[in-house]
Amino acid sequence: MKTRFSRRSVLTKLGGAIAGLFTLSAARAAKAAVQKVLASSGAPKDYDATKHKWLMCIDVNRCIGCGLCAEACKKENGVPEGPYFRTWIERYVILKPEPGSGQTRGETLVDSPDGGMHGFPALTVPTDKIEHSFFVPKLCNLCKYSPCVQVCPVGASFDAPDGAVLVDPKYCIGCGFCIQACPYGCRFLSPVTHTAEKCTLCYHRITRGLKPACVEVCPGQARIFGDLMTAGPDDPIRKFYENNRVQVLKPHLGTEPRVLYAGLDKEVR
Amino acid sequence: MPRFKLPPQILCLVLLTLAIVGSYLTARAFLKPTSFGELGWYRANALVELRSRTPVYAGKQACDECHSDVLQKLGKFEHKNLSCEACHGPCREHGDNPEVLPVKLTGNFCLRCHEANPSRPAWFKQIVSKEHYSGQCVECHLPHQPSQTP
Repeated sequence: MKTRFSRRSVLTKLGGAIAGLFTLSAARAAKAAVQKVLASSGAPKDYDATKHKWLMCIDVNRCIGCGLCAEACKKENGVPEGPYFRTWIERYVILKPEPGSGQTRGETLVDSPDGGMHGFPALTVPTDKIEHSFFVPKLCNLCKYSPCVQVCPVGASFDAPDGAVLVDPKYCIGCGFCIQACPYGCRFLSPVTHTAEKCTLCYHRITRGLKPACVEVCPGQARIFGDLMTAGPDDPIRKFYENNRVQVLKPHLGTEPRVLYAGLDKEVR
Repeated sequence: MPRFKLPPQILCLVLLTLAIVGSYLTARAFLKPTSFGELGWYRANALVELRSRTPVYAGKQACDECHSDVLQKLGKFEHKNLSCEACHGPCREHGDNPEVLPVKLTGNFCLRCHEANPSRPAWFKQIVSKEHYSGQCVECHLPHQPSQTP
């Protein structure tokens, strides 16, 4: 009987397959190296994400509601026109209780016209009916246990080692799960790229030693930004901790945000 | 004693499994981004790509390189903690090419912060512009030295 496979032909084919596998892995290694170089052109070289831990603190008593932060964020990050914000300001107006109502306080009104980026119009409520009124800047809460990262089906949302929660725009499929998952409403689907977008803590700025754009322009020093790994005893971050009792938003959700607020009211969600 | 012979159906199953696993591994080798999994369940190159963007706001330190005289003056007055770009707008382009000028400020830009508003904290200086003066703020106040008059 004539064999279909000779020893010689089998060995040749086997050798070819092994050589092919080696070529494939070599080509892969070369591709990885090329991609690394291509990706890092223009990026600051001496940044090691594992040697930083970024933190944002917000002093509500120092926010004057000018909206420069929301405006600067849009300009810095090219956020699309319209109701899309990576950071924004909310105005809280807590009214006095009706006399004899037995309530501690009256209705709470919240507004954020255009994210506050053009300032706030005068209140329509008469001043003598207001018990408290204040501004609260909002942004990504940099959760330690981020719901948005947990629900991402493709690994496009991730916790960077330096504490930033980021979106990989090349990998995001725009399913919007993360937008539903975020308890703080900090994400949106970009009408331009059709991918999820959010505050990156101005990742291209902080890795160059600059402050995030919102912190840079804040005239009242309501936003304090720093690096827990390198902060000395006189660092504004440490001073903020020492001088304030801090709170986070929605602590009952267990997300452990690393955006800390001082001077918050219970009505702020 | 008869020699053991692998039943053909088992051989078929083994070959089929090998083919499926093999094609999966090949497809994975081609489709998986090279840096995926380096730092976690994501593409590590995304970190590098995200930080390769050019900033739009230059930062106060960059302004200090050419305008240190203005900054020194500013440092003695109430506006000392303000960043230049808070009022003058993004200036990185101006830093790269001084001929590109930052946005011109209008005389009443001050009101964006200083117009009286019950939501603003009490420590912050505010005025009711209608009762205060009908002209331009800069007629009486120097923005870099707010407590001095021109």
